[in-house]
Amino acid sequence: MEKASHLSVIVDLSPTQWHLSAQADNQYPLSIQTFLSQLLAFLNTHIASQHENTLAVFGALPGKSVMLYSSTDVVADDAIAPDANSYPPFKAVDSTVVQNMMYEFDAFQKSDHEPPCDLVGALTKALCYINRITHPSTTANSAAEDPSILPDPRILILSVSPDLSPSYIPIMNSIFSAQKLKVTIDICKIYGPDTVFLQQAAHLTNGSYIYLERRDALLQYLIMSFLSPPAIRKVLAVPKQDKVDFRAACFCHKNIVDIGFVCSVCLSIFCQPVPVCSTCRTKFPIKTLQRLNASRPSLNPVNSRNSLPLANLNNASPRPTPTRNLNGVS
Amino acid sequence: MPSVQSLQPGDISTSQNSPHVLLPFLQSQPQNTLTRLYQRPSSCLSIFRLLGPLERQLIMNLLWLESAIPTNTMAAWVVPEGKKLYNDALTVMTGLHIIQNPTVKLALNSTFRSSLRQAITGGGNTGSFGVPADKDDKRQPNAIELLDAYALERWETILHYMVSSGQGQLPTKPSSGVLYLLQRSELMKANHGATLQITSSGFQFLLHSPHDQLWDLLLQYLHMAEERQMDLVEVLSFLFMLSTMELGREYSTDSLSQTQKVLLEDLRDYGLIWQKKSSSKRFSPTRLATTLTSLSPSLPTSNSRTGSGTNAVGVAASSAQQGFIVLETNYRVYAYTDNPLQTAVLNLFITMKYRFPNLVVGMLTRESVRKALANGISAEQIISYLSTHAHPQMRKNNPLLPVTVQDQIRLWELERNRLKSAEGYLYKDFASQADYMYVLEYAKQLDVVLWENGAKRCFFGSLEGHANVRGFIERRTGGG
Repeated sequence: MEKASHLSVIVDLSPTQWHLSAQADNQYPLSIQTFLSQLLAFLNTHIASQHENTLAVFGALPGKSVMLYSSTDVVADDAIAPDANSYPPFKAVDSTVVQNMMYEFDAFQKSDHEPPCDLVGALTKALCYINRITHPSTTANSAAEDPSILPDPRILILSVSPDLSPSYIPIMNSIFSAQKLKVTIDICKIYGPDTVFLQQAAHLTNGSYIYLERRDALLQYLIMSFLSPPAIRKVLAVPKQDKVDFRAACFCHKNIVDIGFVCSVCLSIFCQPVPVCSTCRTKFPIKTLQRLNASRPSLNPVNSRNSLPLANLNNASPRPTPTRNLNGVS
Repeated sequence: MPSVQSLQPGDISTSQNSPHVLLPFLQSQPQNTLTRLYQRPSSCLSIFRLLGPLERQLIMNLLWLESAIPTNTMAAWVVPEGKKLYNDALTVMTGLHIIQNPTVKLALNSTFRSSLRQAITGGGNTGSFGVPADKDDKRQPNAIELLDAYALERWETILHYMVSSGQGQLPTKPSSGVLYLLQRSELMKANHGATLQITSSGFQFLLHSPHDQLWDLLLQYLHMAEERQMDLVEVLSFLFMLSTMELGREYSTDSLSQTQKVLLEDLRDYGLIWQKKSSSKRFSPTRLATTLTSLSPSLPTSNSRTGSGTNAVGVAASSAQQGFIVLETNYRVYAYTDNPLQTAVLNLFITMKYRFPNLVVGMLTRESVRKALANGISAEQIISYLSTHAHPQMRKNNPLLPVTVQDQIRLWELERNRLKSAEGYLYKDFASQADYMYVLEYAKQLDVVLWENGAKRCFFGSLEGHANVRGFIERRTGGG
């Protein structure tokens, strides 16, 4: 028997980005209303495919992340009026998602500064949720012991915000957890520039990253590329990126770097040679630092040298066994 | 010399990727019927679910396209290794008239497309997902436990009746409609006079999963409906509507047609529908009905039963869900069950040793397995029954069942196939070796020789070839 599959959808709900996306001067303006109606059709399609398919929807909002819907939570019976013209589970998804989204939008604080969207929070919640449903033995009633009906989990991120470099480390950690849980992460970039980290997420978890070129055809893109479970992707190909941006962000200034310096002990990445690793407190010999600084293809070496705290340089006196050094990587 | 020939293990009823049993039936229907069926969103949704995963993806790819796309465009998405699967999927969909004329351009049947779109987006006024009954303030709708217990009781009555008919016991009889259906489907046969006897296909039926059993019966029902002049479209769309209904909700009978009201009564006998009285204006589907198009077990699961009255049947069902059979390498079978039905099914191929309140101990012996084989049950079916109902403790073993026992069951089956009989004629007493060789040569050309012995100058020919061989001999003796 074919397996049921689980889909966790993470929706990026940044008000600023959606406002920009709806502007008429875009080639294909896409407002959040249109987006939502197409998204709901896609969610229904996923549930329609198989009776056992499970679904969870997470929202990444400015400064927080929420779960908007999960098919394992039972909806209160009276909440949804029965209707002879629609399939009850579809109705439950649609009304719950919309209701919760409206509630979150209403709760927005009107402030001048909008905090960035908590995509990482939503991703972590999705991973936790998947971990919970794929390992039901740890919960109280372990009814779904049969391995054939354990869902085949996937995460789909619908992103509109640009990269947030401070979230590099948590995103990478999430990717590693996803790899461990055998979760495929698919990315649909609906608006804004390509994001480096999400490209890597899709690449490392064998998912696909798609930049939406025709935003008026969102639903068709979603269905053709993201509806099929991994088993079907072996027959019907799904587009993958031909080139992936593998750049990392440094741990010190959270900049995305072309050439970084890696601590030889803990593999932390820095945009410039540092005398002491900020993660594992390893001290590096001053000679190596000088050599590395001299060989840097930096545009303004003076500035970067100034930014090094002098006190730290003094502490980094050569040690009797200078086996640890910073290696340059590209 | 009798030939020793190993036969292929019997047809395994549910192979991994076999299409659903209903699909061939639908394919055999005229296009007109199918188009009428596709007018209802709930039917489209259910048929969509019965299809394989690849067909579903292809339908979805095409669903929101307004115009037909060239076949080559879609084929470009297919990886080379999947070509065959893709073509098979197209054939299935063409057979169902979901896709028309796939040689040049691909497009969905327009009726199917608009109904499935409507199913997914909601809206319209077809009412195909069942009209819910108005809230009744006096009565609470039925608890799910009650519906489950009811469905289980009905279903087990049918199975129990079948299994015990061979042993001369007389348990509760299911209704006459059910009995007629069992007879029609040749799962049971009237044996001299009134008593019904289970047939070999009936024994095989008992070892299937409830989901397969249900569809087997419903398929028979559909064939019968054709003969009873019932409108097939109405029957099918009612079944599909049931499969999209919500468990534990009450629906109104007002919007049903006359045919569907007749159907309602029949399905009540099978345990698919619960009604308070037969004249009641409302009905509730049971789990048997709501899981028609799904993979999940169609009989109640353990956690849905907690807290309800724990009668014997209910407890047994919950253990059945998790598996209850332990099979050891010494052919001993321990079955943790107190369900008379399960005990009876096991009794088909096991020699019972002891019975305790919650445990049955038995042995797989040559006699017991041969008895089952004589009843028409195949070795593969015994093995698959044992593995699907294996106790959770057994699931730790790899392979699940002891290999020695599996092999022995298969060997016992082969044992029965040692002899092969054929009707025919023995040609002997040829006057000379030359005569013998000449006739034998001719018979071999006709490919009718089953056995030959040159030393004794005789050979055995099949029945079909006799006229020719005889004519040949007569012509020779007459001419010579």
